[in-house]
Order: sequence, then structure tokens, then C-alpha cells
Amino acid sequence: MNSLFKLLLGVGCALNVAAQAKEITLLNVSYDPTREFYQEYNAAFTKYWKVKTGDDVTINQSHGGSGKQAQSVIAGLEADVVTLALSYDIDAISQQAGLLPANWQTNLPDNSTPYTSTIVFLVRKGNPKHIENWDDLVKPGVSVVTPNPKTSGGARWAFLAAWAYALETNNHNEAGAKEFITQLYKNVPVLDSGARGSTITFAQRGIGDVLLSWENEAHLALKEFGTNNFEIVTPPFSILAEPPVAVVEQNAKHHGTLAVAQAYLEYLYSDEGQEIAAKNFYRPRNPTIAAKYAANFPQLKLVTVDQEFGGWQKAQKKFFSDGGIFDQIYQP
Amino acid sequence: MKRNRLLITIIAGLPLAVNSAVADESATNNETDIETLKQEIQDLDQKVRVLERLRENDKDDATVAAKQQPLVKLDSSGFTFSSPDTNFVIGLHGLIQFDDRSFFETPPGFKAGSDGFLLRKARPILTGTVFHNFDFNFTPDFGGSAPAIYDAYINYHYNPALQVEVGKFKSPVGLELLQSDSWTFFNERTLANNLVPNRDLGAELHGDLFGGVASYAAGLFDGAPDYSNPGSGIVNADYDNNLAFAGRLFFQPFKTSGIDPLQGLGVGVGGSYEIDSGSTTANYGGLTAGYVTDGQQKFFTYSATAYANGDHWRISPQGYYYYGPLGLLGEYVISDQQVTSGASSADLRNAGWEISGGWVLTGESDSYNGVTPKHPFDPLKGQWGAWQVVGRFAELDVDHQADSTTFAAAGSALRARGWSAGVNWYLNKNIRVNASYSHTQFGDIVGTANAVTKQPENVFFTRVQLAF
Repeated sequence: MNSLFKLLLGVGCALNVAAQAKEITLLNVSYDPTREFYQEYNAAFTKYWKVKTGDDVTINQSHGGSGKQAQSVIAGLEADVVTLALSYDIDAISQQAGLLPANWQTNLPDNSTPYTSTIVFLVRKGNPKHIENWDDLVKPGVSVVTPNPKTSGGARWAFLAAWAYALETNNHNEAGAKEFITQLYKNVPVLDSGARGSTITFAQRGIGDVLLSWENEAHLALKEFGTNNFEIVTPPFSILAEPPVAVVEQNAKHHGTLAVAQAYLEYLYSDEGQEIAAKNFYRPRNPTIAAKYAANFPQLKLVTVDQEFGGWQKAQKKFFSDGGIFDQIYQP
Repeated sequence: MKRNRLLITIIAGLPLAVNSAVADESATNNETDIETLKQEIQDLDQKVRVLERLRENDKDDATVAAKQQPLVKLDSSGFTFSSPDTNFVIGLHGLIQFDDRSFFETPPGFKAGSDGFLLRKARPILTGTVFHNFDFNFTPDFGGSAPAIYDAYINYHYNPALQVEVGKFKSPVGLELLQSDSWTFFNERTLANNLVPNRDLGAELHGDLFGGVASYAAGLFDGAPDYSNPGSGIVNADYDNNLAFAGRLFFQPFKTSGIDPLQGLGVGVGGSYEIDSGSTTANYGGLTAGYVTDGQQKFFTYSATAYANGDHWRISPQGYYYYGPLGLLGEYVISDQQVTSGASSADLRNAGWEISGGWVLTGESDSYNGVTPKHPFDPLKGQWGAWQVVGRFAELDVDHQADSTTFAAAGSALRARGWSAGVNWYLNKNIRVNASYSHTQFGDIVGTANAVTKQPENVFFTRVQLAF
């Protein structure tokens, strides 16, 4: 009798849960090269959430240049979460649209950056132009592919990495750095709007000698196009890219998805989330998992935006706003 | 001798040595040239790739930019402006009807109507949708006797089956009345149309069900008398505190059946109910301003002392049938109204019916929403638009309890019966020209016939219409 009662109770609970199982949809507006990562991560999260709550979560993705994506959210694209290339773009959403609080970065660990990355060089197999360091990018006859810093977060990281290198190598002389960056962009024949576009330009359209690429994007290119065609050159110096994530609180509240959206981002810090990041060539924050995948991530000198430029607000204003240094040095 | 041989050898060998050196240099030069050419080819190849990629990116940017541009459309349906995300859509349409009426003296020396041209309707029509679900319509009319606002409403459509409309719009009772003014068979609606309410102020729940097989409308309104012409200002002058219910059910049972000959069959019923609390101080006592003929002449009015006082209900079974070039429309209307005049009261049941039909001679299909010519008028190409012959019968009977000047104005006719015949020429989707002849006979005159009712009305109509 007791067993029967327990069986009936269990069935009843299961039916009750099934009857109450909700269908939830989230929109993750992300930057350009994260497609493969979030495909894998989303599958893991939906499974985790189903087991935990019984609810079904569907995550829709939008990808594009980080700056463009931020403007889309400001213009009304109802993202529940944003996972962009740099904090400045999420700050813009907070300041211009008021969709999340100004202190959003305190919501999650490590300033809401569950993984890091850097900028490396993807070159043709055999590295025929012998590109090893940032200096080689300004040589005559070297064609460089990089996206447009006005729209792409990765392009802004690459620009700042080059500028930081130029400062390091000429006694922090700003005029010298400007000359360096001017020469570099003279070697850029095409500016795509996002990192994925530049990968297409370099790897599929066969344009250029070197692609300034997100580290993960470079590995994806090797995977997709084969190690017979390209190779990665990790320069000895680059920039620590910290792509942040945030819940777009006003949208999530309006959709009734606040709790799930928060859990979705928190899961990025879980062991499974960190493993998926590492497998997709993002440098995990978790030291144990980082050590496990250390062979994938060469050591190099990494400088930060805060150290070199006083933070993104200052860097954006100085280099990428209208009339900034990029506008001054780049003539299409 | 040895020296000579040596010399000869040297001399003989010189050209060879020179040739060899020249050949080496030439080979080196050739290799250099080849390498240079290879490099030039590679450079050109890169330039071509870059140009192609720039073109691809420009195309992508243009596609994105196009999506961000407002959409502007201009076609036979009018002007439409839309935001890129279609959250805001505005349409500008119009209806202009320029008529001529010519009354015939029958018998000679007897006619009531005045001949002449008139601007029957001049309507700029502003429609739109905001945030996908909220439609609006604002339609003033500058034709006729005085400018008036005909339609001004907002419609929230949750989905086709569930919509809420508020404002001023056509009351959902009469089938002929609900047909667009652009597409009626004749210039003027029939005698039976006198009994249905026109525009009214209120709120209505309505929708189409099962893919349009069934449609419904049910609303609460201020209440409108019979034949309330918006231009007369009567509709806006609500004279009592009571609301009127008006509703309609309409079925097109074979609409989605695939049975072609029956798909155009529609039947339904409309009705209204209100309790009138009129008085002699209200406009026309809260009653109709008068029933009019096809020539728009009043053949019946209530007496000056009569007013609406009590129940007023209407019922209108109705239907239409369209199949290919054939179009038929008919309805029967009862307007039952309690009327008081002095110490007398009566429950007056006025009834009317009409049957109208048309045949498109050029073979196009007719519909409740008009005829679209297959070959728009273009004489240079031998295209003559669409031609339609039309005809109708109609009758209106006022309750014989009104057969005295207690309730009816002297000279009013309690019965009017008429027929009409005509031809419509659809030059294109937007321009129509029509000509028709209407004959109306009067009977059961209250007292002595007046200028209108003492002879039949015979009138020839023409119209040039622009609708977009």
C-alpha cells in the first residue's frame, strides 16, 4: 500500500511538473565570432535548465559587429542578454537606452567577463611574408585584413593592441604610434563590418597576407579551412581582450525571463561553461580548466585597456568616436 | 703550329663563350622577367579580389541600409508610407464622385428635382497602423451639402477573429450600407437603405472566423435614427442617455470549400435595438430626417410633433452572391419604432426590401469589393476596361398607422417602389464612369401629394469616380 501510494505520488508529481513546464525563449545578442561557441553552450544550458527546473528554454542568437549589435539593441532589438566584445558597447546600451544599470559589470564575477581572448595573426601556410610581430604589418607589400573599428569590437581590440605595441617600442611617443597605425591601415585593403566578415575576406576570398583575428576565430579558421592553408602566429605582445556579458534587465523583466537570463550567464562560469569556452579557444577564467587547456593558449605579454588607455570610455573617445584618431588616419 | 692551333681554338671558341654568356644573361633576365610577371599577376589577382569583396560588402551595406529606410509605395491603392520595421504605416487614399442628375418631367410640367452637377463625395482618407495591431481611419468629406467627418476610429486587431473598434464608423446592420461607397452598383443606395443606421459613435467587437467563413460584429453605440446622413449633423447630436446595441452575423459557408460556384455566396442577418427617449426639441424628434428617393428627394417625413419614444429595433436578413461576372445583392429590413405625437403613440413598423444585380459584359469577376478590369482602358492598345450592366428593384413601406398628419407630414408617401437600370464602365481599378436611370412610384399619400410625391420620379444619373 505504501509503495503504491509512493508510486502514485511520484507519478502525480511528475505529471504536475510536466503540466507546469514552461516554454521560455531568450534572445542572446552577441558579437560576430561567437556563433560556434554559443551553439554548443546553448545546447548545454538548455539541458541543464530542463533537468533543474523542467522548463524548456529556446535561445535565439543574433551575431554581428559588437558596435552594430549594441546599436541594434538600443534601437529596439529586444535582447534578453548581450554578450559583446567590449564593455564600452554594453555601457552604451545602459547610457543611451537605460536598459540595464550603470553598474552592470558588478553583476557577475571578473567584471562580467567569463572568459578572455586576445588578438593573434592568421597567415598563409608557410608564412611567406615572414610576419612575426606587429612591425611586420607596416612593411610595404604586406596586405593586412582587419574589420572596421567603427563597427567591430575585435577590430577595436586589434587597433589598440597595435597602438600599445607602437608605444612600447618607441618610448611611448604618441606621434610615432600614430604614424605606425597610419602605415598599418594603409596596408588594409578591405574593412569588413565584423570579425566573421574579415575571416571570410581572408580565408575564403583569398585577400591579404595576414588577418588580425580573435584567437578563437583564428583556430576556427584552421579547423574549417585546414591547417594546410593557414597557420597561426601568436605575436609576443598583444592585448588582453575581455568580452563581457550582461542581462538586459528591462527587456528580461518585460519578457518575464529575468531569472533564466541571469542563470544563463551564470552558467558560463560553471565548469561545463568554462570547458566549452576553452574547447572553442576562449581563455577560461577558471584556473583549473585553463591549466587543462594550456597547450592551446600560448603565453605572451598581454596589456589591458585599463593599463594602457585608462579604460574604454577614454579609449573610445580618443580613437573611435567621430573625429577620433581612426577617422584622422584612415582614408578609404 | 701549336700556337696557331691554340689561337684558332681560342678565336673559334670566343663566339661560343660570348654566346654562352649572353645566353646565361638572357636566361637570368628571362627568369627575372618571369618572376616579375608572376608578381604582377599576383598583385592584379589581389586587386581583383579586393574589388570583388568591396562590392560584396557594399551590397550587404546597401541591403542593411535599405531595411532601415522608410518604405514608400504608390499604386492603385493610394500612397503608403511605412517605417522599416512596419511598426508605423500611414496610407493616404481618396474618393471623389462627380455626378450629374437630370430629372424628367412626368407628366410634362411636373418634376420636383433640380437638374445639375454636384460633387457627391470628396473624401481624403487617412488610414494607418501603429505598432502592428492598432489601425486607424480618418475620413472627412468635403462634398455634399456641408463638410463632415464620416469616419474617425481606431481598431485594435488582436488577430483576425478578435478586433475592437472605437470611434465613429458604419453601424453593422445594413449589407448595402456596409459596402464601400466606391463599389455600389448605382450612384445612390436603394429605398431599403433608408431604414438602416449609417455612421454612429460607439465601440464594437468584431472579427472573422474560420478563414472568413463566418464574421461577427456586436457593439454599443449612441444610437442613430433611420438614414442618418453624417453630413446633416444628426449622428453627432445624441439626444438621450440610452445606448443602442447593433450587431451582425454573416456567413460565407462555401468560401474555403473549393466549390467555385458557391464560394461567393454570403448570407447573414443584422440588427439593432435601442430605447429612444426623444422629444420634440431633439433633431427631427430623434426620428429620421426623412426617407429619400434615388434622386435624394424626401418622399416621407414624420410630422413636426412626432418624436421617438420607446423601443426601436431593426432586423435585416441579407445576402449576396457573386460568381464570375454575376453579382447579386439583396436585403430585407424592418425598422420598428415607437413614436409619440401629442397624445398619440404608435408602434410603427416600416419595412423595405431590395434586390440588385449586375453582369460584367467583359467577363471580369464581380465582387462585394468591386470589379477590377483585366485590360485597363488604353485605346491605343485596343483595351477598353470593364463594362457592367446593372439593375435593381426596391420598395419601402411605412406603417399605415402613420397614415395621418399626426405622425406623418402632409404629402408624405407611405409607399415607394422603384426600379433602376444602368451601365458601369470601369476604366481601371481607380476610375469608374456610370450612367443609370431610376424610376420611383409613390403611393398611399398622406393628405394631398406634395411636389415630390405628386408624380413619379424619373431621373438620369451619370458619375465620374476616382477612388484610390
